[in-house]
Amino acid sequence: MSVVIVYLLLLKATVTSFAGMGSLPQVRQDFVDTHHLVSADELSEAVLIGRATPGPMGAYVVAVGYQAAGVRGAIAGWLALVTPAFLALPLLVTVQRWLHLPRVRALVDAVVIAGATMLVPAAALLAFDGATQLLRLLY
Amino acid sequence: MNAPLRQLTWIFTRDVTFTFGGGNASMELLRRSLQSRGWIDAPTHALLMAVSRLTPGTSILAYCASGGWLLNGWRGTLAAVAGGSLPGSLIIFGLAATLGTLDRYALVRALLSVGMLAAAWLVLASAWVLLKPYVTTARRRRALVIVAIAATLYLIGWTPVRVLLVSAIAGALLPATKRGTLEHPPSPTATMPV
Repeated sequence: MSVVIVYLLLLKATVTSFAGMGSLPQVRQDFVDTHHLVSADELSEAVLIGRATPGPMGAYVVAVGYQAAGVRGAIAGWLALVTPAFLALPLLVTVQRWLHLPRVRALVDAVVIAGATMLVPAAALLAFDGATQLLRLLY
Repeated sequence: MNAPLRQLTWIFTRDVTFTFGGGNASMELLRRSLQSRGWIDAPTHALLMAVSRLTPGTSILAYCASGGWLLNGWRGTLAAVAGGSLPGSLIIFGLAATLGTLDRYALVRALLSVGMLAAAWLVLASAWVLLKPYVTTARRRRALVIVAIAATLYLIGWTPVRVLLVSAIAGALLPATKRGTLEHPPSPTATMPV
């Protein structure tokens, strides 16, 4: 499988998700079910490695790329990870340009408030996972 | 502004790469690092958070890209994105190529769980920093309506991006408040550099 195809498949997954692990269903469909580039076990291993290492959660795609196409696949995975980030620049410039309008500011405020609200269950899940794992180790 | 590139690269590398618990915890660490140097203020952090949540892909890297852009233009963007993604990716590549699954080691699992607890605290702190300017002013009723909408939609299983879009529409449609008075202080994003 061409490394360009690996990049495009991973990019399709990362650019259509809005969270680190949000790309997982698409990666599973393309790499495991459709193209059989990695096995289900290899994908699980990639996810575990991504979760067990510090840094962005979505970086597990580097391991998927490596499993699918070796070193060049890992580079393709990294490129697919960082490419969508650059879409933030036109969005930032646009928002800054229109931020003086009350409606736009109200819209951005609402996004900030809603984003902060969703952090609370995310924190609770993290705390629950961490505490459960720690208790399992201790007892 | 032109933040020193080397320092900028190091801060983004350190705060993203050496943090367990995902992007939310990293964003809170970045806020503390960047604000303590006077490079950004709270409204700018709120704007970066909003933009990064609306950008497809990994939110923390979108935060790096837009934060780097504000601090040092294109060079800042490239440095921050590389700093935030390359070291972690190299570690993952190294592990995928050699060790395989890590979580069979008890020590790794213990470190991971402690890291997750610390990250949970950081994420909660981040939520409070973002919400405080809204819920401690006279505009709290408007903020609480949006909190209620976002919490309800999220808890019934809507994806985060849908929750954000509906909240954004609700925010734009809710009746506007007066700005700059004691009863209605300007929103945190009102002082954003344009």
